[in-house]
Amino acid sequence: MSNIDRRTLVKGSLAAMMAGAAFSRGALADTSEPILLGVSGPLTGPNAQYGTQWKQGFDLALDEILAAGGINGRKLAYNFEDSQSDPRQSVAIAQKFVSDPRIVMELGDFSSPASMAASPIYQRAGLVQFGFTNSHPDFTKGGDFMWSTSVSQADEQPLLAAYAVKRLGLKKLAVLHLNTDWGRTSRDYFVKAAKEYGAEIAVTEGYIAEERDFRSTLVRVRDSSPDGLILISYYSDGALIARQARQVGLKQVICAASSVYSPKFLELGGDAVEDVHVGTRYFPEDPRPEVQKFIAGFKKKYNGIEPDAFNAYAYDAMNMAAAVVKIGGTDRRAVRDAFTKVKDVSSVIFGTATFDVESRRVKGAMNAELVVRKGQFALWDGKPT
Amino acid sequence: MSSWLDYTINGLIVGNVYALVAVGLALIFGVSRLINFAQGSIYLVGAYIGWVAVVQLHMPLPLTIIVVAVAAAIVGLIIERFGLRPLQNSVRIAPLLATIGISFVLDQLVMLTFSPNPRALPSQLPDVRFQVGGGTIGPLDLLIAGVGLTSAILLFVFLRYSKLGWAIRATAQDRDAAMQMGVDVNRVNQAVFGIAAALGGVSGLLVGMYYNQIDTAMSLQATLKGVVAEVVGGAGNVPGAVIGSLLLGLVESYGVAVFGTSYRNLFAFLLLVLVLVLRPNGLFASARQAPPEPMTGTFIAPSRPVRIPRWALLAAAAAFAILPLLPVSFYVLQTLINAWLLGMLALSLTLVAGTIGQVSLGHAALLAIGAYTSALLSLSFAVPVGLAVIGGGLMSAALGTLLISPSFRLRGHYVSIATLAIGEIVSLVILNWESVTRGPIGISGIPPLSLFGYELIGPSSIYWFSFGVMVVLALLQGRLLGSHLGRSFRAIRDDDIAARAYGLSLNRYKSLAFIFGGFAAGVSGGIAAHLYSYINHETFNTQQSILALTVVILGGLGNVVGAIVGSVALVGIPEMFRIAAEYRILIYGIVLLLLVRFRPQGLLGTM
Repeated sequence: MSNIDRRTLVKGSLAAMMAGAAFSRGALADTSEPILLGVSGPLTGPNAQYGTQWKQGFDLALDEILAAGGINGRKLAYNFEDSQSDPRQSVAIAQKFVSDPRIVMELGDFSSPASMAASPIYQRAGLVQFGFTNSHPDFTKGGDFMWSTSVSQADEQPLLAAYAVKRLGLKKLAVLHLNTDWGRTSRDYFVKAAKEYGAEIAVTEGYIAEERDFRSTLVRVRDSSPDGLILISYYSDGALIARQARQVGLKQVICAASSVYSPKFLELGGDAVEDVHVGTRYFPEDPRPEVQKFIAGFKKKYNGIEPDAFNAYAYDAMNMAAAVVKIGGTDRRAVRDAFTKVKDVSSVIFGTATFDVESRRVKGAMNAELVVRKGQFALWDGKPT
Repeated sequence: MSSWLDYTINGLIVGNVYALVAVGLALIFGVSRLINFAQGSIYLVGAYIGWVAVVQLHMPLPLTIIVVAVAAAIVGLIIERFGLRPLQNSVRIAPLLATIGISFVLDQLVMLTFSPNPRALPSQLPDVRFQVGGGTIGPLDLLIAGVGLTSAILLFVFLRYSKLGWAIRATAQDRDAAMQMGVDVNRVNQAVFGIAAALGGVSGLLVGMYYNQIDTAMSLQATLKGVVAEVVGGAGNVPGAVIGSLLLGLVESYGVAVFGTSYRNLFAFLLLVLVLVLRPNGLFASARQAPPEPMTGTFIAPSRPVRIPRWALLAAAAAFAILPLLPVSFYVLQTLINAWLLGMLALSLTLVAGTIGQVSLGHAALLAIGAYTSALLSLSFAVPVGLAVIGGGLMSAALGTLLISPSFRLRGHYVSIATLAIGEIVSLVILNWESVTRGPIGISGIPPLSLFGYELIGPSSIYWFSFGVMVVLALLQGRLLGSHLGRSFRAIRDDDIAARAYGLSLNRYKSLAFIFGGFAAGVSGGIAAHLYSYINHETFNTQQSILALTVVILGGLGNVVGAIVGSVALVGIPEMFRIAAEYRILIYGIVLLLLVRFRPQGLLGTM
């Protein structure tokens, strides 16, 4: 298990010396230079929309952090590198970040292949990789520098199953899921929990992300005669499925995972998403102060646009990063250790967030039971639809 | 049983949607013998112009359709005039690549203007639905079917009975003869591009309304499905494109019915490969079509390669070899590691596409086979990583050659389309064959590279390792090209009939080229798998196949040094423009267009 390459050591210490030099210069300019985070995520390519949403959430959090006096008097800033969620680019970005002494922590990447391809580099260099959309069960197993505020599907899916089976009384379910690592993992946790609650799974259908036409899939669903449809989808494909389900004459109750929670879901789904039930981790009308502060700030900054879940993840992640850096300072190892020390950080998704040191994830996501009524998300009043 | 009626209706409905794109592609192919990879982008532009018209300007639907058609036609005319006409007398690959470049540019411009968030594009048609079978059909379904069929019939009549239509057909049959008869070939081309673009734009609008959703990532899928439908129907045949689209829709729908949703696209691409193998000109190709394209050599630009003196190559190799000893950042090393891995893929592609003339658009599949083989060998069978990577190379060589061999008898463009399909099929098999590939969950925890029991984990050691492997592969390939075998390869590329007459067995030599090429690509994929430690079916995608082809064209087809220079350039250029963030794919597209325009034979020329 020894490293073959001694020159790396020599070079490493050279780099360390240079970094040290840079650091002492940095120390002089301590209060004017911002503390820098690295972000690796998609700004172009097929996932570009999520990178854009991240930026909105980050920028809002940074405004608030600065208004509250920054990190011990210093500004916090990030350097967003576009990876297109492509693993070849995320590994190059990882090398860029680990060899840039100003970067104290990395956030991202968006997809599992891009994130986990970069993990070995962050782990070896001892720079925290803070993945806040990485629900792949193996992400935090990459090493003790991998941390995540992404809600583990093991945590979330039983809540959705309870909503569908126990609260809505659905007994025979058809599950449609995005056929990715996320969708597949979620489906497995959902099916397991639903069965434990006594439901029967009539059919499960996985579809690929580029799919637009679900009519034939829905005929299969119809033929299995379920009394409820479960969508493990993002908002765009979730809206498509709901529309087409109504078009082909399926009238069953539809229940969807929190990932459809977005104003876009209502806009894209139109009348078809009326009465769709959604278990979600945050809800604008949730009276909790963290949520209200986030919504108000977001609408003010972005001309009245309603935030959605990805905005909230990014916002939470930036606040969490700030809390960690406040404790850990600018030393990378101390930043890693600070993850074990932060307690009860105010969070939209979790209420207050504290890491579970074993799994390096946060547990106890909030769950609101929503239903779409008159084109708006509303808290479910307990009445069957 | 009644469900079969529903599956049939659904298949026909989605087939109609495909037909809207396929008709435009067929028209252009009929006249210019060009697969227009930008058609999907025009469809995208049409959808967004429609969104502005409907949502912002509140135009009624008939007016919206006219506005979209006119605007899209103008875009088409601009593409024809400035993107493609200057390439008229250039090699055949040049316009093909230009359309890829144009699609990058258009997609990015739309994305920068409208942001990548999906938008709702409401249909203004009344929401009445008629019960058919177990499902329903609405006015928009009928409108789409109407537009698809009407445009196909109108085009057919136009081509057969109008003067311009005659000119178009004459140009399609024999461009030079048409020119001698006084046909203004440029005007014909313009007309065709205008019509095809108008159709493409309107289809984007209608499909957007149909799904009530448009987003900036919709163009590639539209192009892919349109190309499949068009080739199945018979490239260049407009009614054939409509029938091919309906057939594609039906096959997908029945595929879902029998095997489930996750197999849907698998059947689309299997249909394509089957049609190409059994009826290479498509199901409805007429006997009086234009003379068939030559088997090979269509894409090769005659040129004198730039000879780089041996000492310069040695010096460059030495400079790159000592790079990790100099104070360069790990980021630079990692970027170059990516370049060396891409270089191995490019070596593979330049051999099959450049030296023997089989242009492959599915080369990422070879990476995937190598990566999965190597990852599984080392994880499940505890094979040492060094051997596992070689195993990946061997598996890519064997399986890749086997999969591609049905395409050996195809010609010109059809080879690229068959390989594109095979690439997609490999990716979908990986997604669905869960017991072996672990399906969508992917493979994690792949052990790092190691050699004789030593782990290579620092960037410097990985750099040396990948650089070394690439140099060895390049030397072997250089040796191969200089040998008798290499000359036989080039003979097949330049004139397959003469080569056959001379006694060369085409299939055997093509297989040999794919075996060598498959090995290099498989090794590259294997190394990548151990470098990333996690792979899934999306790690090696169509984009990488297109990137590899671009590299090979950039460097010069068949040119070993060119493949490596091209890799360094194309890994480096996007990294240099990283600062430009959202704009860098736009810049990349423009660079590609300029290159195709001014140096179609590649930087170092064709060998």
